[in-house]
Amino acid sequence: MVSVSMENTSAGTRGAKRSKPARLAPNYWPFVIPALVVISAVIVFPWVFTLWMSAHRWTLGQEQSFIGLENYIRLAGDGRFWESLWHTLIYTVLSVVAPLFLGTLAALVFDAEFPMRGFLRGVFVMPMMATPVAIALVWTMMFHPQLGVLNYLLSFIGIGPLEWIYNQSTVIPSLVLVETWQWTPLVMLIVLGGLAAVPREPYESAEIDGANAWQKFRYLTMPMIAPFLMIAVIIRSIDAVKSFDIIYAMTQGGPGTASETINIYLYNTSFAYYDIGYGSAMAVVFFIAIIALSFVLLMVRQRANWSEMEER
Amino acid sequence: MAPVNISNVQKRFGAVNVIHGIDIDIKDGEFVALVGPSGCGKSTLLRMIAGLEELTDGEIRIGAREVSNLPARDRDIAMVFQNYALYPHMTVKDNMGFALKLKKVSAEETKVKVDRAASILGLESLMDRYPRQLSGGQRQRVAMGRALVRDPQVFLFDEPLSNLDAKLRVQMRGEIKALHQRIGTTTIYVTHDQVEAMTMADKIVVLHDGVIEQVGAPLDLYDRPANLFVAGFIGSPAMNFIHGRVEEGVFRTLNGLTLPLPAAANPATLGGRELVCGIRPEHIRAVTSGGIEGRVELVEGTGSEIYAKLACRGDEIACLFRERLDVRFGDTIQIAIDPDSMHLFDAETGRRL
Ligand SMILES: Nc1ncnc2c1ncn2[C@@H]1O[C@H](COP(=O)(O)OP(=O)(O)OP(=O)(O)O)[C@@H](O)[C@H]1O
Ligand SMILES: [Mg+2]
Repeated sequence: MVSVSMENTSAGTRGAKRSKPARLAPNYWPFVIPALVVISAVIVFPWVFTLWMSAHRWTLGQEQSFIGLENYIRLAGDGRFWESLWHTLIYTVLSVVAPLFLGTLAALVFDAEFPMRGFLRGVFVMPMMATPVAIALVWTMMFHPQLGVLNYLLSFIGIGPLEWIYNQSTVIPSLVLVETWQWTPLVMLIVLGGLAAVPREPYESAEIDGANAWQKFRYLTMPMIAPFLMIAVIIRSIDAVKSFDIIYAMTQGGPGTASETINIYLYNTSFAYYDIGYGSAMAVVFFIAIIALSFVLLMVRQRANWSEMEER
Repeated sequence: MAPVNISNVQKRFGAVNVIHGIDIDIKDGEFVALVGPSGCGKSTLLRMIAGLEELTDGEIRIGAREVSNLPARDRDIAMVFQNYALYPHMTVKDNMGFALKLKKVSAEETKVKVDRAASILGLESLMDRYPRQLSGGQRQRVAMGRALVRDPQVFLFDEPLSNLDAKLRVQMRGEIKALHQRIGTTTIYVTHDQVEAMTMADKIVVLHDGVIEQVGAPLDLYDRPANLFVAGFIGSPAMNFIHGRVEEGVFRTLNGLTLPLPAAANPATLGGRELVCGIRPEHIRAVTSGGIEGRVELVEGTGSEIYAKLACRGDEIACLFRERLDVRFGDTIQIAIDPDSMHLFDAETGRRL
């Protein structure tokens, strides 16, 4: 009922406005123009310019010439681009799944009462606050095959030594490890918020209905925090797919091109080879891919959200 | 189905003592109503039987098993919570079928049981809704349905009909009673509603501030309340209490009214101390002459009966007349009290004499 009446009023005001513009026209433009200017300069112009660049052969320092879709056609046949797409996909999936799993686990732990909980939670959240370049430096040292602390620790359990980011086959998992270390706390905070919002009474019903700890988690906790997990997935996915700083600071996409994601390839193309036109085409494709991803995620989120579900 | 034995059960929340050592023996298949004023510990006791609240002291046995340290899920009981405690993310159907799903009951059997409970409770058209799309009374019926699909050792009901309208409540009361007569599962039923307790229960337990005031069959409690608390609590409208003493073989109130003593009473043992005489409003008759005079202070007619409050000298006496009387505010009428319907209590201890 409430929403209906609200629609009515908003429709009413809209109707009322419709009769006025003629009189208002000269007055409201000054108020709109600043916003339009800012939006055009900050959002519209870069995109239009990127689109325009992507339709040109434009290497920095040389004449540019219009080539239509040629950059895009070149992209479709570029093995290195497809490889970077694949790297991006693996990197994203792993850096969503791992923090999500560990973050949920951590949230379940920190949701229980135990001594020093507040302090430990504070310590746990700290990686989130570090700057990516500092993190990259520290982890690069830890990953060092001979001098790094990781191999030293692994030697105690008889594993390794591993080459971490210096080996083509382990570089992506190693980078994901850093990403996970940094972003698990964020997932934990989101899920912890979700757990705090979960009502306690249903757990008593479930206890009476004969549910054991696992069943309570599976049938009550999971569905009830699903909307929060979904939010974590969305934030993490969009963050991971765009990830640049840690990868660039630690490997620059190497060894070889083993950790080159689209973002890194795009950067290298534009600012190492100065092939601005081609880089722009990549940026356009990448942007469309991100939009598509967000769209899919939002759709999935809607389905996972029991608190917003309407009668079907 | 199983007997339930509660012995010396105590519960403290921190420093607050809520249940002070309770003993109740419930026979196999018995229907026990637990009544008492708000906050007296009914829900707490029920939750201890269910295993949701730890005992501070004492022992609870269900059947042959000592369950005091058993988790709720191993006690094989079904419970309707006072606050419903439905699963917010499940439909009505899934809410009701959840216990069966955990027990790995087949889908067909679950459907049969859920549908049967739904038809008893009139929930058929709501099966695909979520709890937040239901009214309070509908939610309460879902909570009830969740218990009814099960076949437990003991049913625990915590005011399961409190949110229903009068008509539905009468209907549900009948359904629960019929169900109990059919399957005979031991049932402990908390209620605020006198009529529910009186009509449904084999045995009523009156709880007050964490102690049992009286245990007995409904009519026992009505006919022979053990103390002033039970006398005032059981029966509606509540019993009249008139303070006075036994002098010269009659009961003389502090305000000077004189009432005859019951035939069974022995005036010799009653003299010399302050007493309370209890008279149920429905045991007072209106007479045309020779009764106690009283001025009408309040009249309420429901059609089937007339409730009146009379001022008889300094005492206020509530009466319930089953016949149509033409009484108005300010009238003076005469009433008669059958001495054998009087209850006498010691004013100091509150005990029945
Ligand atoms: N977790 C708790 N901590 C402290 N005190 C509690 C707790 N639970 C209940 N109590 C207290 O115990 C007493 C009994 O509560 P209980 O819920 O059993 O009452 P009740 O008889 O069910 O009342 P009602 O008829 O209003 O439901 C109350 O005084 C209440 O304040
Ligand atoms: Mg209660």
